[in-house]
Amino acid sequence: MPAFTDRAWSPYFAGALLGLLQIPAFLLIGTALGASSSFVTVSATLASFVDPAIREIEYAARHLAGAKNWWQVALVIGIALGAFLSAKLSGTVRRGIAPVWERALGTKSPATRFVLAFLGGFLMLAGARIADGCTSGHGLSGMAQLALGSFVAIAATFAGGIATAHLLRRI
Amino acid sequence: MSILSAVLLGLAMGVVFGFVLEKSRVFEPAVILGQLQLRNFLMLKIFLSGVAAGLVVIGLLVATGLSGLHPKSAIWTADVVGGLILGAGIALAGACPGTTLAQIGAGYRDAWFTLAGGLSGALVFTYLEPVLHPVLLAGGAGKLTLDKVLGVPFPWLAFGFAALLVAGLVALERWRPWRAEIGANADGLLPPPEARAPAAAPVATGRA
Repeated sequence: MPAFTDRAWSPYFAGALLGLLQIPAFLLIGTALGASSSFVTVSATLASFVDPAIREIEYAARHLAGAKNWWQVALVIGIALGAFLSAKLSGTVRRGIAPVWERALGTKSPATRFVLAFLGGFLMLAGARIADGCTSGHGLSGMAQLALGSFVAIAATFAGGIATAHLLRRI
Repeated sequence: MSILSAVLLGLAMGVVFGFVLEKSRVFEPAVILGQLQLRNFLMLKIFLSGVAAGLVVIGLLVATGLSGLHPKSAIWTADVVGGLILGAGIALAGACPGTTLAQIGAGYRDAWFTLAGGLSGALVFTYLEPVLHPVLLAGGAGKLTLDKVLGVPFPWLAFGFAALLVAGLVALERWRPWRAEIGANADGLLPPPEARAPAAAPVATGRA
């Protein structure tokens, strides 16, 4: 039996639980699971303090108001809380930078890793917003609805990811 | 639904989402990078299990009339271009947009930079969207789903596709048992390539 204090659950069990989260999303919010549009809601909200004119961009306005947008912001904040709770319960709280990066980058330099993490995050959200979804919205949700655009987007995501990962050192 | 109840529900669902992501280990950079370098298949197992379970529950919701579908529009160019960039970002970040937050919760320091980069990327896109819209994001094929294309009821197709995925996962587990991919420190990091294949070990290639 999986326990809250386990370090790892079976990927099949954990994956199936993620799929079950579609039930409250569909029935109570009237949408599918997603994560990346919350980055627009948060960044446009922050930007609106220095540039109120951003509200006049229709795309920003569409992401600033409404229950669905703030539901997703709360969802991703909850992800951080849930992961913290799980790591605490199993005693797997992480510190610093994962050891895999020394192997992949060939350096222990935190500065190198921080720059690459920022660049990775930038590309990730730029790409997700162009494609209108990420591994959650297109992957978990789009494929589970047999949406053809999502199949294409996820195939392209894996292609781009596999090609880029092979530019790094083999881990 | 009021914003407050939506936020409370989002928080509750997010805590479950994040708890399960942490237990699944798919938030670990070594799991994501390992999958993209095709040496660790945990990510694919979790991802396809999530899709299979989603197909079954959404199929049931549609079959019972409790809900309709909420698919995204197919815009082929944007899906391909955006997907390629998203994939490159995932490889360099060692995270997806959602698992970035799980990395922060679990304690990884560099995930804060991923988050800052992500917010910047989303903001730059927002400012460029009016320009990009006519060239990249307009038109498309609409909310195209396979059941409509084939003229088969969604639930049957969804259950059939879920069964196919389960068969694929059974084969994947036989080929690569998941317990062997978790790693000694539960981070998906397996012994280095040198230890696995001494003859093929690259000697200071200078790549970084």
